[in-house]
Amino acid sequence: MKTIDEEIWDYLDGGLTADQKREIAAKINSDPAYQQVYTELQEIQQLMKGAELEEPSMSFTRNVMDQVSLEIAPIALKTKVSKTIIYSIAAFFLLSIMAIMVYTIANSTLSDESFKVPDLKLPVNTQEFITPTSIRIFFFVDIVLALIYLDSFLRRKKA
Amino acid sequence: MQEQQTDYALITAVLEGNTAVYADLVKRHQRFVFTMAMRFAKNREDAEEIAQDCFVKAYKALGTFQHTSKFSTWLYTIAYTTAMTFLRKKKLSTLSLNDDENTVQIENHISDYNANGIEKKSGYAYLSQAIELLLPDDAMIITLFYMGEQSLEEIAQTMHMESKTIKVKLHRARTRLKEKLQYLLKDEVKELI
Repeated sequence: MKTIDEEIWDYLDGGLTADQKREIAAKINSDPAYQQVYTELQEIQQLMKGAELEEPSMSFTRNVMDQVSLEIAPIALKTKVSKTIIYSIAAFFLLSIMAIMVYTIANSTLSDESFKVPDLKLPVNTQEFITPTSIRIFFFVDIVLALIYLDSFLRRKKA
Repeated sequence: MQEQQTDYALITAVLEGNTAVYADLVKRHQRFVFTMAMRFAKNREDAEEIAQDCFVKAYKALGTFQHTSKFSTWLYTIAYTTAMTFLRKKKLSTLSLNDDENTVQIENHISDYNANGIEKKSGYAYLSQAIELLLPDDAMIITLFYMGEQSLEEIAQTMHMESKTIKVKLHRARTRLKEKLQYLLKDEVKELI
């Protein structure tokens, strides 16, 4: 439910439909309460529209230009990448990957039981390094890094 | 004829290396940016600092201006962000009388103001005083809407809010402004008596 003030402000802003305008205009003409609010708000609106802007000091422009002269001159970003080009490249790669996958699946014999995943022979024995202690160290370092990041993120937000 | 050039023409000239033309852009928008800064800073020295900082930032970022909105809207966004950063840093106390808990019982003296025939010039002085009593965001919305002739969508862009939120905030800001004006005029009438 709109207050009289809200109705009148909407009317003065001019954003109402013709029917709504007629309705409010009729209320203003017939209802003394609406008439009084209309007179007040119209007066305030005229004041606000006619109010003058503040004037900075005489040396304002010169001060700005003095500061600006110390900066590197701006240049237009000529490498504006069109989104269409990005989407086209993405579509090309997606289609290529899908085509390779379809071709591979179509030419593979999934029922072949002789297929074995090849063994990865590294020069070091990975089992020696993956121990419960090393896993704990790994998680500990991760948690410390996460906390450092969270701290810097919150500091940035606070600033 | 330089004055008649559009903002876009001036920006293009600056980006092409004629950096002195930036002074024309500054002259064209400095009063409004300064007025915006005054809504936050409350004193001229700080407002000048904010406004100057805004124009320097705008200069540095001029190459990224996309021409998808009016230059003024883009500039006011920088001014608003600069002013907000300034306010956070300085932690300025706002002299708003707007505490809902301490709502002043206000009599309607707008009509008295008309009847007493106080000059229009005084009306502007009261308006200026009333705007100073508003919260910075309320003062900013009113300034952008009436003095900057920005649409609700443009104000929303400047203040990083939804246009529906801006519409509600504008209504509230105007109601508060009316209260402040009535409060100030009540004091004026008392003084006259």
